[in-house]
Amino acid sequence: MRVKIYASGYCSFDHIDDEGFMTLTEGASVKDVLKKLGIPMVLRRLPLVAVNYEQVKVGTELKDGDVVSLLGPLSGG
Amino acid sequence: MKGYLGKVLKVNLTTGEIADEAIPDNVYENLLSGIGLGAYYLYKNIPADADPLGPDNILGFTSGMLVGTGSLVTGRWMAVCKSPLTGGWGDANCGGDFAPAIKACGYDAIFFRGISPEPVFLQVDDQGARLCDASHLWGKDAIETEDILRKECRVKLAPKVAAIGPAGEKKSLISGIVNDGGRIAARSGVGAVMGSKLLKAVVLAGKQRTKIHDPAGMKAYSKEVGAKFKQASMPGFLKGFAFPFLGWATSKVKSASATDGLMSVMMNKTYGTIAVNTMGLPNGDSPVKNWGGSVKDFPMRKYRKLNPDRILDRKIENYSCYSCTIACGDTCDISDLGDGKVQHAHKPEYENCCSLGTNLLINDLDAIFLMSESLNRAGMDSISAGTTLAYAIECFENGVLTEEDTGGLQLRWGDADAASELLEMMIQREGIGDLLADGVKVAAEKIGKGSESFAIHCGGQEPGMHDPKLDPMLGVHFSADPTPGRHTIGAGIYYNMMNLWKEVTWAPKVTKYPKSQEYIPSDEEALKSVALSCYKMLNDACGGCFFALIAGLDHWNLFRMLNDTTGWGLSGDEYMAIGRRIQTLRQMFSVKHGVEPKDAIMTGRVMGEPPLRTGNLKGITLPIEEMVSLHWKHFGWNEKTGLPEQEIVADLEERALVQ
Repeated sequence: MRVKIYASGYCSFDHIDDEGFMTLTEGASVKDVLKKLGIPMVLRRLPLVAVNYEQVKVGTELKDGDVVSLLGPLSGG
Repeated sequence: MKGYLGKVLKVNLTTGEIADEAIPDNVYENLLSGIGLGAYYLYKNIPADADPLGPDNILGFTSGMLVGTGSLVTGRWMAVCKSPLTGGWGDANCGGDFAPAIKACGYDAIFFRGISPEPVFLQVDDQGARLCDASHLWGKDAIETEDILRKECRVKLAPKVAAIGPAGEKKSLISGIVNDGGRIAARSGVGAVMGSKLLKAVVLAGKQRTKIHDPAGMKAYSKEVGAKFKQASMPGFLKGFAFPFLGWATSKVKSASATDGLMSVMMNKTYGTIAVNTMGLPNGDSPVKNWGGSVKDFPMRKYRKLNPDRILDRKIENYSCYSCTIACGDTCDISDLGDGKVQHAHKPEYENCCSLGTNLLINDLDAIFLMSESLNRAGMDSISAGTTLAYAIECFENGVLTEEDTGGLQLRWGDADAASELLEMMIQREGIGDLLADGVKVAAEKIGKGSESFAIHCGGQEPGMHDPKLDPMLGVHFSADPTPGRHTIGAGIYYNMMNLWKEVTWAPKVTKYPKSQEYIPSDEEALKSVALSCYKMLNDACGGCFFALIAGLDHWNLFRMLNDTTGWGLSGDEYMAIGRRIQTLRQMFSVKHGVEPKDAIMTGRVMGEPPLRTGNLKGITLPIEEMVSLHWKHFGWNEKTGLPEQEIVADLEERALVQ
């Protein structure tokens, strides 16, 4: 299955294609995405990730077409 | 006419004449409304030699194409004029509740020319438009004026009011126009223009609705946007104490990538702009000590007192502008501060906390609350005022100003009492405050003695509180926008959130790239900055909010909402061409009025000349002239002078937008 990834500059993009998608095996979870993005294990439990724009736990199972967003650099004023 | 009313109200304050003026459809089709309509009207009607504070200048209050259409986060209005601060195009953007009131009175904009013989306010309601005596209001602060007029002019519903305070009345060149209890259209000196016309306030109470092409489509889209924005919530563990870590972490990232703009909504919903208070120190985003220092001068043991949670401790209730579901504002209880006369105040924005705090090495939040409220009531721009305070302190530190000049006031970094006192002197134009009340450029011209290098401005306007050495595209927009110093046009971080490339064929697509790429002048980076300029112009022509804009096309699609409103069925490229026209017209306005665009290119310490010696941004100098040159080139403007090329001007002429 393919899920859309909004990663951030601190992530590895090795597993993200030019369209911003990651291919995963059926049954893969958010934890698998974080692992492929190179997020250090100690940070993987922090809820800095949303699926379909809703915060989820890292064990949440993904399905084809899901949108996974990671917290990126923030600014404003 | 879908999304617009097709007419403006024009008021001659010298003669008292008030009349409607029809605006041709082609103006809306080529420039939309809001800032586009303002640019058309002012370019056409203000003579080149007009004194910005004289009768020939025109002050406009414009609404936007999407205001009142059922769309979400489209409640902003603009004040437009020839800027007394820069001598060129002037505008200031503001939220609150005033934008829909303009259209509810049956107009897309209201334009004032001339100078009234006595203080007046304009009232528009179902009995028509008329000028009323404002002598009893002159001298009162903007919020008090609003409160009085809401009662005095109330029929069934309280009217909406925009007013100036003492700073505008005294024609401070850094004064703005205030509505909804302290939301301020602060930039470009628009308050001084209103004060010069002896126009104290505009009071609107109309009932007209705006028709749109596809109300059902808009309703469905607003439901979708609203649901997404509602879902976007800050993770519970992410509290203010963690923000310095986030700032530090971003300073270590060597790459940039497309990100989900909805994450910015999440932050803005919970904290608003103050989330940057402490995030901006470790990564260098926040200027320190008049842009000459770094976190080393204002370390965590000091800046942690600006923790946004400490500000939210005073929160009474959430505040949102018209039609907004992000609601980045809060109303706070400040009854225990100062003389206790003011009970409630808008939460200070990041710009206030930085310009009145970090940039002055002040970490006294109570003082920042009080200074912010003073500025809102006086109707004075906090960015410009804070930057002017920093200039004065640096002058004092270097012996350019002495106690004799300041009336005995000792100006020191980190001294909140002295800063507060000097700020009041600026508002009242007392003593040295009179000299400082027109911003740093005017002050440096009068004081001289080498203080010009302490005067941080571009083209006369003090820049927003974000360091372009962290995000170089900010420096391009500081320098190249016809309203120079503007921090809400674009930056690399915003571009990566917006996903414009999905609907704009010429906007460079982003996946992941080395952060270092942003520091090298290139056609690709220039195309990005041009895209953001065009999209921002569209936004300001619609009455949209920047915080929805940066959520990106996936979550708040301006093109979709415009098509639902107008029925034009235009593509992203076609709408961006409208944005490009608006930006070119603003540039042409400045050029017509004698501004040399290259003079606004910011140099000096903001761009790293000399480079900082400490902090995350140490050693960086931006090749800003090359960056701006490429930006101009991709706008179709001369890359050396910034003047729009003949073919671009001819296109506007063919469309009957300029003569």
